[in-house]
Amino acid sequence: MSELLFEDVTVRYGRLTAVDGVTLRVPAGGVLGLVGESGSGKSTLARAAVGLVPPAGGRILLDGEPVRAHGRHRPLQMVFQDPYSSLDPRMTIGETITEAIPPGMSRAQRRTEVARLLELVHLDPGRASAYPGQLSGGQRQRVALARAIAGRPRVVIADEITSALDVSIQGAILNLVRELQRELGLSILFISHNLAVVRYVADHVAIMLRGRVVEQGPAARVLSEPGHEYTRALLDAVPGHRLTARSAT
Amino acid sequence: MNRRTAHRWLRVLRTPMGRTAAALVLVVLVLAVVGPAPWNARADAVDTANILAGPSAQHWAGTDNLGRDIAFRVLEATRLSVGLALAATAIGVVAGLLLGTAPWLLGRRLGRLVTGAVQIAIAFPGLLLALFFAVVFGVGATGAALAIGLAGAPTFARLVQTLLAGVAARDFVAAARIAGVGRLRILVRHLLPNIAEPLVVNATIGAGGALLAFAGLSFLGLGVQAPSYDWGRLLYDGIGVLYVNPAAAIAPALAVLVAGLALNLLGESVAKGFGMDALVGLPASASPSPAAAAGPAQPAAERPADDAPDDVVLDVRDLTVSFPAAAGPIRPVRGVTFSIRRGEAVGVVGESGSGKSLTALAVSRLVDAAGRVDADRLHLLGTDLREGDSAAQRRLLGSSLAMVFQDPASSFNPTQRIGRQLAETSRHHHGLGRRAAFARAVDRLRAVRITDPDRRARQYPHEFSGGMRQRAMIGMGLMGSPALIVADEPTTALDVTVQRQVLDLLTAIRTSDAVALLLISHDVAVVSEVCDRVLVMYAGRIVEDLPTDRLTTGALHPYTRALTAAVPRMDSPLDRPLPVIPGRPVDPADVPPGCAYAARCPLASQRCRDEDPPLARHPSGHRVACWHARPEPAHAEAVRPASVVEAS
Repeated sequence: MSELLFEDVTVRYGRLTAVDGVTLRVPAGGVLGLVGESGSGKSTLARAAVGLVPPAGGRILLDGEPVRAHGRHRPLQMVFQDPYSSLDPRMTIGETITEAIPPGMSRAQRRTEVARLLELVHLDPGRASAYPGQLSGGQRQRVALARAIAGRPRVVIADEITSALDVSIQGAILNLVRELQRELGLSILFISHNLAVVRYVADHVAIMLRGRVVEQGPAARVLSEPGHEYTRALLDAVPGHRLTARSAT
Repeated sequence: MNRRTAHRWLRVLRTPMGRTAAALVLVVLVLAVVGPAPWNARADAVDTANILAGPSAQHWAGTDNLGRDIAFRVLEATRLSVGLALAATAIGVVAGLLLGTAPWLLGRRLGRLVTGAVQIAIAFPGLLLALFFAVVFGVGATGAALAIGLAGAPTFARLVQTLLAGVAARDFVAAARIAGVGRLRILVRHLLPNIAEPLVVNATIGAGGALLAFAGLSFLGLGVQAPSYDWGRLLYDGIGVLYVNPAAAIAPALAVLVAGLALNLLGESVAKGFGMDALVGLPASASPSPAAAAGPAQPAAERPADDAPDDVVLDVRDLTVSFPAAAGPIRPVRGVTFSIRRGEAVGVVGESGSGKSLTALAVSRLVDAAGRVDADRLHLLGTDLREGDSAAQRRLLGSSLAMVFQDPASSFNPTQRIGRQLAETSRHHHGLGRRAAFARAVDRLRAVRITDPDRRARQYPHEFSGGMRQRAMIGMGLMGSPALIVADEPTTALDVTVQRQVLDLLTAIRTSDAVALLLISHDVAVVSEVCDRVLVMYAGRIVEDLPTDRLTTGALHPYTRALTAAVPRMDSPLDRPLPVIPGRPVDPADVPPGCAYAARCPLASQRCRDEDPPLARHPSGHRVACWHARPEPAHAEAVRPASVVEAS
């Protein structure tokens, strides 16, 4: 279990400031839900954490140490939004997962490890030789999760991992995230634009608007007594009010 | 090479052009490899008694100034000509690959330098570069090979760069980087395999080009030097004696033509074979019949509008959409019947592959040419849409039906101003003048709540945010006076807050102008926000047609209940896993007999697996296709927990 801390992080693309002095804490063994609309800087923050974009200011600390974004073993792993683009179509899912396993294992050990990981995400280990094209969107996202865990990360960043999926599959992936988090004691930064989804997996919530965090706190508190106007707008916008209202009566 | 790639190569060979080109290339290669041996002696045999002879039975293409047989010399020259062309291509490909991949390997700053250099090199015509290198490396075969190879490198390098940039932006490359995989490994493992096909195609075409370029250089005297000879050199010799023996020039020219053509054709047909991927699964033999064909029982023009109640906007009966495939037609939509009244909002929900989008496309007559649309009835405002493509039908569709697509980014032409694109509809369908149409466009933008519509109408699509583009798209539909708006996942690409605005807008338009709405979504929650009635689709059929307010309490079909329960809500209990639907949706190519949902259904009995339940009117008033639909809603509630399987 590790704690990920963003300390006054700023990221710029040319003249555009995508992330503007953000301070956030992903608690050790906890899930921080990061909510905001597209362009609010939440994905940029994630990319900065894993070293895909360099921050222009501030520090990103893992248990008090700067995050290593070089070398073979990376302590942070990420799961992407689109499972159709995040798996190499020319590699079997077994090869894809193997690639993320830290070095120093024999071939046989790696094979067992792949089988174990596939089982962990509820896929048949016998399908290790399948290509992504042979899997459904939900199955691909499971593979992406398995790959992220394969690197034995201390923190996992999940960037809108259910928004490209059918609602009927979304639930299964959310259940899986919760289950993995509990079993492996992972710390997770869970990014989404849907509050109902975030509410389900996160114990802390941060709301981002135009590059800044406008509200953060325990999920139960933020969602029941929103302090910021934008949080209230987000709550109002969650689809299914009619469904909710009716089942409540 | 995985199976799919192998399959595509096979497909190339199945086309007549691909087969011919491959055979020709094979002949040329065999000639180049094994050919010369038997003719070597005869090609170089000097026969001073028979100098500059014309074609004869003994010498098919006559003899040269030393009495050597030209036909054999042409065959003999195959090895050198083809060999040099391939060598030049290899040099070009290797140099191009090195230059093309350098930006990826060297990092941003050095990479930019390489990219710039390549771009400058591309600015020079290839032949000019070849001549320049030919002078640098000296006149001769080696120099020419280097020259032609290096002259081709910049173009190839740029192709590599462009293709690499496309693949490198994909998430799987980012994922590999995060996993700590080095740049070189990513290049070899992820990038090159994903761009290999277009590169191979290009190299093949490039080889044909190199062959021609070589013949050109040798002909100009800058290539192969005597006593060696290639086709270009023979052509050069032959031109000199053109009036004595035309065959001496024609024979090598023919050889160049055939070999060059063979390589180019092969490249082209491979490119075509791979490019055709968009139509995967649709064999060329299948007859592409556009939307047509009515059921035999009901001739097309039989029923006029007054048969239906006055306020029915859209009337669809037994709609089927099928696509030809090798193993018999695939039917993603299998007999859909529904109607929409004026001002009514009807939602269609289902998982991917349920046929919901195709149903919408069939209504708007946008199913692509390979698909076949059949229906007993397909009436929009009383007009039969099934047959023909008359101007009247097009005008009706253009002015009475508005279509809103999922991706607002791709539904506008990026090079034209928004106002002009909206105005075009009115000018085309209503014959308005330029100014009147533009004024209407501004007015419609205002109607869809775009602030400062005068200024916005003069902007380009990229200056609009996603939500604004979607509203402008709806505005475009409102240019006429539509009776029906068909919206296919209009908010899936949008943020929740923006989604709310767009849904509110659709509701407002519907209530103020009595426009009917057909809203397609995978999300029951979205549909329930806007619609009065919901059609639940599964495996190409409507399995339940119910009022929205019955969704949570009165749904009779187990699939409807499972779909509703799967949506996370602000009040879902946090201590339990979310309900999920076990199993996978049905593959349209392999629909089981009986109820398609049976395999995933907790209530399924033997009857469900054998007999497909019809969509029948239920005592409660709505339509449902399930053998287990209970008459009492209370009863349905009782079986509810069983219908929803808790997550594993």
